[in-house]
Amino acid sequence: FAGLSDISISQDIPVEGEITIPMTSHIREFDSSTLNESVQNTIMRDLKAVGKKFMHVLYPRKSNTLLRDWDLWGPLILCVTLALMLQRSSVDSEKDGGPQFAEVFVIVWFGAVTITLNSKLLGGNISFFQSLCVLGYCILPLTVAMLVCRLVLLAEQGPINFMVRLFVVIVMFTWSIVASTAFLADSQPPNRKALAIYPVFLFYFVISWMILTFTPQ
Amino acid sequence: MKQALVDDTEDVSLDFGNEEELAFRKKIRHPLATFFHLFFRVSAIVTYVCCDWFSRSFVGCFVTVLLLLSFDFWSVKNVTGRLLVGLRWWNHIDEDGKGRWIFEARKASPQRSVATEAEARIFWLGLVICPLIWTVFFFSTLFSLKLEWLALVIAGISLQAANLYGYILCKMGGERDIGKITASFLSQMVFQTASPRDFQKPGLKGLEIHKH
Repeated sequence: FAGLSDISISQDIPVEGEITIPMTSHIREFDSSTLNESVQNTIMRDLKAVGKKFMHVLYPRKSNTLLRDWDLWGPLILCVTLALMLQRSSVDSEKDGGPQFAEVFVIVWFGAVTITLNSKLLGGNISFFQSLCVLGYCILPLTVAMLVCRLVLLAEQGPINFMVRLFVVIVMFTWSIVASTAFLADSQPPNRKALAIYPVFLFYFVISWMILTFTPQ
Repeated sequence: MKQALVDDTEDVSLDFGNEEELAFRKKIRHPLATFFHLFFRVSAIVTYVCCDWFSRSFVGCFVTVLLLLSFDFWSVKNVTGRLLVGLRWWNHIDEDGKGRWIFEARKASPQRSVATEAEARIFWLGLVICPLIWTVFFFSTLFSLKLEWLALVIAGISLQAANLYGYILCKMGGERDIGKITASFLSQMVFQTASPRDFQKPGLKGLEIHKH
């Protein structure tokens, strides 16, 4: 085998091929912690995240959880629940509150998108979906108000009935505002806070108005 | 399934060269995931089309289709993508509040790329065809002036298009030039139709065109 040491490879053998290297800023290593987990783990993880956010809305403190780990399941559930409860039971079964149902949807989602655009234009550093997440989750107190109002409306109508409903709606309205400003205010520059909060105020005001003026036929 | 079991026991002899044959035969490794990938999308479309037959309630149909679309979005994004083709995408918020989108692709390994051919085909077909159907619904709803359904159709299009876009970006893997992607995709198709059996054998040394 002595002759093998004399073998040399010439330097000008062309080596070609095609290598596609994924951009490292966008693609990471195969993250086995989430990519390989079982389906049940994924479901439980997401359910727990949703539940935690509901808790955060009920006891609003300044924290980043709602912002960091956003999801839109809570807003969807709340929107559907609110829209279902805001239906008028009409005699004619063909148009069974169809337009009102879609109307609630459009108001909630279109309103949330508009507020988000407004806060982004004012220079806030919050991303689109984070803002939608916060606004959607903070509808929870108003959904509770709707539930209470529907129960109260089962009793006889009258001024007392109206005062009770007014009180409940006002309390829940302030709760929504407090919860959402606790999360959103930090993302705005200080001199623009009022400008960013004002549309949120309007948004929840419109929803509260719909709740207060609801009467089942 | 019975046939596959019989084949397994027959091939229990230590014949390592036959592993790729075995893997090739088991075409669908995740039947449940494949089923659910198509189930939610197709039933959303079917419910939307046939809602007049089931019940005259606009609200019931709206809520059902919306829930099916949401479940479909979640399951395709979180489950079937990573099980069937090994891709995943999500949004990550940094410490300073900036959000960015992250796209992950599983590295192709020889054992995996053979067995998941059928699954990948089903995955991509389901992913592409359904948004097109919802776009057709959009125009039909618009022109028949049933505008209360428009909200639902727009929701459907945005949810399904979001998944499609996310997975296309995952698959592109950082390659931003659409022309190059199309060219390589078409050349893959030509190879596949020319010699399907040879193409699927992972033994083609060094010629790893197949990147899932």
